[in-house]
Amino acid sequence: MIFEWKVAMRFLKEGKGQSIFILLGISVGVAVMVFLNTLISGLQENLINQTVGNSSHVWLTGQSAFEQQISGLADDNVVAGNTDPRPVQLSNWQSMIEVLEERDDLRGISPLVEGNAFYVNNSMARPVFIKGFDPQKADEIYNISTRIIKGSSNYDGNNLMVGNTFATDYALEPGDVILLNLPSGVSQSFVISGIFDLGNSAVNSSWMVMDLSRAQKLLGYGNEVTKIEMQVKEIFDAETIDASIASRLDGVVVDNWIESNSSLLAALQSQSASSIMIQVFVLLAVTLGISSVLAVSVVQKSKQLGILKAMGTKSGQASRIFLLQGSILGIIGSLMGAGLGIGLVQMFLWGTSLSTGVPLFPLSIQPQNILVIGIISSLSSTIAAFVPANRSSKLNPVEVIRNG
Amino acid sequence: MADANIVLKAEQLTKVYGTTIKTEVLHGLNFEIHKNEFTSIIGYSGSGKSTLLNILGALDQPTGGDVFFNDISFSKMTQNELADFRNQNLGFIFQFHHLLPEFSALENVLIPTWIKAGRATNVKAARAKELLELVGLKDFIKSKATNLSGGQQQRVAIARALINDPAILLGDEPTGNLDSDSTDQVYGLFRTINETLGTTLLIVTHNDHIAAKSDRVIELTDGNISRDYLNSSFSDEEAFQRVAPVYCKICQHMRVEKHHL
Repeated sequence: MIFEWKVAMRFLKEGKGQSIFILLGISVGVAVMVFLNTLISGLQENLINQTVGNSSHVWLTGQSAFEQQISGLADDNVVAGNTDPRPVQLSNWQSMIEVLEERDDLRGISPLVEGNAFYVNNSMARPVFIKGFDPQKADEIYNISTRIIKGSSNYDGNNLMVGNTFATDYALEPGDVILLNLPSGVSQSFVISGIFDLGNSAVNSSWMVMDLSRAQKLLGYGNEVTKIEMQVKEIFDAETIDASIASRLDGVVVDNWIESNSSLLAALQSQSASSIMIQVFVLLAVTLGISSVLAVSVVQKSKQLGILKAMGTKSGQASRIFLLQGSILGIIGSLMGAGLGIGLVQMFLWGTSLSTGVPLFPLSIQPQNILVIGIISSLSSTIAAFVPANRSSKLNPVEVIRNG
Repeated sequence: MADANIVLKAEQLTKVYGTTIKTEVLHGLNFEIHKNEFTSIIGYSGSGKSTLLNILGALDQPTGGDVFFNDISFSKMTQNELADFRNQNLGFIFQFHHLLPEFSALENVLIPTWIKAGRATNVKAARAKELLELVGLKDFIKSKATNLSGGQQQRVAIARALINDPAILLGDEPTGNLDSDSTDQVYGLFRTINETLGTTLLIVTHNDHIAAKSDRVIELTDGNISRDYLNSSFSDEEAFQRVAPVYCKICQHMRVEKHHL
């Protein structure tokens, strides 16, 4: 290999112009792949983070009365409308939480009570959604305490927090008192302690966040809860974690963000697919480019190859000279391209932050992705050299010598 | 046939070119090349000289017959074995493109050792410098091949052909591209090599002066050996006359000059 390496390096060095053009071609191709890859994964990460970053990934609820009935009496006529639509509380939720806390793929395991109510204002009734949280646990998922825009983050006792959309709609300020009517006919008044912005208009306009015990009392659940929410450490493991929880706990319904956001995920997947398609075609173009330049180079170097073969260079050696050229170009080009791609990413971050001071969305360089792109590009360059290498190995020295 | 004095032996060599229209350029040649002999192959263009040399140099395969090097049959060797054989036992000097322009004179001389072992040993590097000195290019060791004149390049090619101490040196019109001064130098070198290193020389040539000064002349006519004789059996003048008419009718008057060769 030392001989092949020497000749390959020398051919590349002496054909500087050609080598530089090829390297530029590979670099630009790899840079486009690195940039596109970073951009798309950054965009997707950002989208997913916005969608589920501050919400629960997996949640447990009790089976509804309807579900309980059909699981018990499979042959009877059961009509959903005839059953109690209220969520069924989770009995022995404390022991469920203990089970869940043993797992190390979860965090922010948070029990809560949910229920519906109406906010009545000047004879207009607006449906709202009561969320009874354990403030500390809920913060691990929702980060409410850092997302208060007015007032305090303390919502114990008779205090509650409302979203900024709701507050704006009714011109409410911290300290104001609001009256909530429950479907059961009960009316209770609460003091607004703070106004939050959780970045989701449905949440901001309908959530009434109060203490777990207060909500339990208000909705008549005693010491029970209706739901256990949690986040998973690896966001795309939500489905498998869901399944493994469901298999361990009986009488509960487990749900996850992937199932409830299937259209978003389908969009993300097709985006990834198109990004990969573009990268594949860029790679193909680069590979064909290398292949054709090296093929021309074999013709250009046919005299040298003829002499080398006459002096005892074997066909295998002759082909390795060109395979090596392909790999050398591929590796150097990929390294240059990775640098250029990272440069492009930095330029994008800088360019989009010019007017606002903050980039359009954060991009993080993914070393493992760049490594994969680099390895694939280097391999492709070597593969691109196969055809020229084959021509080089077949070259007959007699032809070259005879034809001068 | 185990004659220790025979280094190369051709048996019933034929060569046919073309598949649809077949042209036989060599018609069953038989001859032996002896150790330490300086043989010229002469003949008109198209007589099959270069084809013969390429076959003897294991670069081309005969259509029929075989070549033996010290009783080893070429036809029994694989392509890779033939390549190794060329690398270790033969030195080639061609008329055109003598050197690899990407490399310096010294590197060009060392290439055959690279092919064999990947790198040159110190012994070989020293030998390469010696050989470059022998061909009178001591001061051009580091020069790029492209910066040398045609004659200088051909001398580097001779040094390169000798680096692996080959048994046979094969030249295909090695002086065909050179002026008469360079031709003289190259001929002188051949003689020195032949005498000091004991290398067998087999040179296809159009140059009647070289042919006349070699030990043996094989003349090809239309793919057959028309004459095969030793120059030592003739006087210098006769020797020159025997080869001269082959190439030029006006060479008769040059008989005087040959003594200056």
